[in-house]
Amino acid sequence: MNSLAEKYAANDVGSIFLYTHEAHPGEHYPHLTSFDQKLRHAQALRDIYGVSRPILVDALDGACHRAYGSMPNMTWIFNKAGRPLYKSDWTNSDSVENAIFYLLNVLKRRRDGERMAPFHVERIDFRTQDQKRFYEGLARNGPRAVEEFKNAF
Amino acid sequence: MNQDDLIKQYNYDQFIPEKFNPWMRFGESPALWQPAPDFPLWTLDNKETSLSAIWSQHTYTVVEFGSFT
Repeated sequence: MNSLAEKYAANDVGSIFLYTHEAHPGEHYPHLTSFDQKLRHAQALRDIYGVSRPILVDALDGACHRAYGSMPNMTWIFNKAGRPLYKSDWTNSDSVENAIFYLLNVLKRRRDGERMAPFHVERIDFRTQDQKRFYEGLARNGPRAVEEFKNAF
Repeated sequence: MNQDDLIKQYNYDQFIPEKFNPWMRFGESPALWQPAPDFPLWTLDNKETSLSAIWSQHTYTVVEFGSFT
């Protein structure tokens, strides 16, 4: 997602990471109890995972995250007027790039004088399941995060 | 639910279905192409901004929600 942000920045596509809450609290990164702690976790996320996009932090009660469906790693694309054009319950860079590519082409078609009307479409996208990397992330949170995930499914 | 309980339940302390499942509400999320709800957000140095201040800066804005895992 970082490289995608860099790739399309010149096309006036902005990208941010919105820190929400700990989906898998563990010994090293436990559940949040204060906004200061939330800021510290978000800063650690930047430093440890190398998130190069601007990171913003939601309120401690997750007001924004909850309003948008509370999924642990979803992605939304907004236009400048604040209308969502894409929403995905899981983040996948191929899916996001596909949407960006399509939306940039819509701008070009408009510039070329084409009259267009919006319509809704639903589809299923597919992502690679990288279990090794996922469990490495859980382990970073702490052994309890690994154990609880195994027990949950 | 009062604010303290909301904060406690949203920031659940264990990844167990009875604690995380109630928050999975993507099906109830805002509709596409309708004006989206705006919320205050904070930068890492604790300066307040908002989602609308972010999306109004660019033709399109990609917002990834997440945490460590």
